[in-house]
Amino acid sequence: MKQPQRTGVIRDYDMHSASVRVGYAVVILLCILMVILAVFPILWVILAGFKDLKELIASTSIFPQSYDLSRFATTWAQLGIAKNYLNSLISVVGSVICALVFNGLLGYGLGTLKPKGYGIVKRLVMLSLLMPTTISIVPLFMNIQKLGLSNSFVPLWLSYGANAMYVILFVQFFESLPASIIEASRIDGCNPLQIFFHIVLPLSKPICAVVAIFAVNAAWSDFLLPYLVLRGGELQTVMVRLFVFSTDQTVNADAMMRSVVFSMIPPIILFFIFQKQLTENTVSVGIKG
Amino acid sequence: MSGQNARTRSRARLAEDLKSWMIMLPGLILMTFFIWEPLLESVRMSLYKTRNIELVRFIGLDNFISVVGKDDFLQALANTFSYTFWSLIIGFALPVLLALLIGETVRGKSFFRTAAYLPNMLPGLAVIILWSSFFSGEKSGVLNILLGRLGIPQQSYLTRYEWVIPIIIIISTWKGAGATALIYMAGMAGVNPELYEAAAIDGATVWQRVFHILLPSIRKLAGTLLILQIISVFQIMYEPMVLTKGGPDNASLSLMQLMWQYAFGGSMNYGKASAVAVIVTLILLVMTAIYSYFNRKESDWD
Repeated sequence: MKQPQRTGVIRDYDMHSASVRVGYAVVILLCILMVILAVFPILWVILAGFKDLKELIASTSIFPQSYDLSRFATTWAQLGIAKNYLNSLISVVGSVICALVFNGLLGYGLGTLKPKGYGIVKRLVMLSLLMPTTISIVPLFMNIQKLGLSNSFVPLWLSYGANAMYVILFVQFFESLPASIIEASRIDGCNPLQIFFHIVLPLSKPICAVVAIFAVNAAWSDFLLPYLVLRGGELQTVMVRLFVFSTDQTVNADAMMRSVVFSMIPPIILFFIFQKQLTENTVSVGIKG
Repeated sequence: MSGQNARTRSRARLAEDLKSWMIMLPGLILMTFFIWEPLLESVRMSLYKTRNIELVRFIGLDNFISVVGKDDFLQALANTFSYTFWSLIIGFALPVLLALLIGETVRGKSFFRTAAYLPNMLPGLAVIILWSSFFSGEKSGVLNILLGRLGIPQQSYLTRYEWVIPIIIIISTWKGAGATALIYMAGMAGVNPELYEAAAIDGATVWQRVFHILLPSIRKLAGTLLILQIISVFQIMYEPMVLTKGGPDNASLSLMQLMWQYAFGGSMNYGKASAVAVIVTLILLVMTAIYSYFNRKESDWD
């Protein structure tokens, strides 16, 4: 097997020195320790999901006495999680569409079209990046109530159409597209919207994928605004349900652990499908941000 | 003739700009509705007496005076700074170290990167609930099980006044450190490996290369991530809300949590909640200004 190239501080010929070899072994050991620390809590909660209430409270073993999947099935049915999954799915799909369309078009305006005065808007968007939205959650919630949009997915979907980070990701991508392509199609008589849908969008699959993955995960995990908008109603998502469980003590600890597992399954699946894009894209976001 | 041409051209240009603004309009409306207007509205609301979602009357700074005068505000303010302090102690250097370690590995690098990123994908709420059973005071609490094997007696971690904030920071660091490490790795990848070669030929040890080439290369990135970290920790809210409900005895109550309690904790006092939000915003603005002042100074030096 071909040895991959060393790209770090330690160079190949350093490995002749015994002390560097020991140091490298320590590096590997620490990395393995990191993997254990990252994975163990997740494994633990899955194992804990197999325990019944008595075992969960009393047992001092990490491993359950039996691996009975029917316990998961029972909790799933008793708490009616299927409905929450469906709600989460509807919420996520709408959010992703809004995230792509609205932030994409705004990013197209700021990154490619650049009409007179776009600089002010761009600066405002940059500034919003520093002021995350929890601070203004109270007036936002009041606005939603005034418009009579409580107990509806609409405000949640649309809130993903106003994400400063996604806009900036789009802007940076569109700015990197060669201006000559856009200029050429403009001369051919395409209007800006045609250019967007026929030229820009097909070239933008990578950035759309990044924003979509981020938005799926964010929309799935979100619970503060969804809780305020959906509480008490029929449309509660998985995370809203989990938040409600965590505030009132009516749910048993074992059902709670299994609900935590249910809430983690879709993100973990998403992670394993898109791990490459995720670990590499964080990287490009980092350099630019 | 040419003047008329210029006029048609500028009119065409104007029409095009107008079209561009139309394309941006939906996004701008949403930005206004979800971010900009609420931010301004919270300033206005903080100056009014509110009843449910109605603004009853203008009362100047009364909300601020009443909020700041309560003991729980001073406690929450001190706690929030304590969160920030612990987050810098525990959470700032760790991602740099992880990036350094993963960057040195040859085989399995992408595996280590993947594992480091995994906790960041999990829903924050699920992470908090999952860790609450680690720090549980019961004998079935995971830490009690593990440390019990080492002979350390059963403890109740989350009811210890001096431990609760560091524990919450450890949990959020567990979730976020790996993802931040990947950002540092990208910054470190900007260093040309030949630089290390050259330094090595000049007799620089591995440590010298780390301290004189690698770490300086991420200094600016570290500054940016530092301010982002402070801004985000300063708004810590749901972690103590779910894990400890602000306890024991308000020892983990944060400013944003106080805001949430005023608004949604039963009293629906949106005016006072907005006053807290405005105070948090002002503190964040001051911190950002200090940061950009020092940052500018530093670039002058460069």
